[in-house]
Amino acid sequence: MQSFVPVRIQNHIVAVFFLLCLISAPTGAAAQSWRSLTPTQREALAPMVQQWDNLPELQRRRLLDTAKHYSRLTPEQKQRYHDRLAKWSKLTPEQREAARKKYRAFNKVPEKEREQVKRMVREQEANKAAAVPPDSAAR
Amino acid sequence: MTNELDPGKIAELLTQGTRQLDAATVSALVGARQNALKRQSVRAPAFSLAAASPQGLARWANRLTPHSAQAWIAALLLVAILATGTSFWQSAQEQQIGELDVAILTDDLPIEVFVD
Repeated sequence: MQSFVPVRIQNHIVAVFFLLCLISAPTGAAAQSWRSLTPTQREALAPMVQQWDNLPELQRRRLLDTAKHYSRLTPEQKQRYHDRLAKWSKLTPEQREAARKKYRAFNKVPEKEREQVKRMVREQEANKAAAVPPDSAAR
Repeated sequence: MTNELDPGKIAELLTQGTRQLDAATVSALVGARQNALKRQSVRAPAFSLAAASPQGLARWANRLTPHSAQAWIAALLLVAILATGTSFWQSAQEQQIGELDVAILTDDLPIEVFVD
């Protein structure tokens, strides 16, 4: 800094600058170990207990973001969340990003059509569940 | 009949023509010429190869360096505001992604529908 700037003003500038930098620092940027999670976070992310400490930092942060919503979920949604968490975390970042894009696009489709798709998927799942395994075992 | 245009003759005719101009017209033309010359300035290009030299770079650095306490404060505040804005934007993006992930993980449809 130039010498013609009074020292007092220099100090103020530096203080304001660092203060604003601190405010602007991304919150929760540091990766959290499983042991440092709150009980609520641990409950939400329980299916991830084994692999948590080995997950990439960004993935941990994203999962912690999802865990923030856990307490507001219905019991049925909590069950789905737990059932799908492990599978979701095994996807590659590209696959997750593609899934987000598809989900966004799907939600832009008119509700009537969305319901039709949901009905079709439910029927397919029911058919799969009803499929008789001995049929394939007999071959 | 030949009607060729001799350049020398044309110049002579033009000179004669200008000699016949009245003083007011000549004065107005001279004034207009002077004004045009005044407005014409040699402009240096904003970015030139000269700027790539150490002297050129030093000149640019000198121009870009704040030269007063107020300028320093303004520059630092601008940097801090930009950093804060970027950080908030990133945070909002992350929050949106979190909400989207929860929606996918809790939707009626299985995640296989959205995963290739």
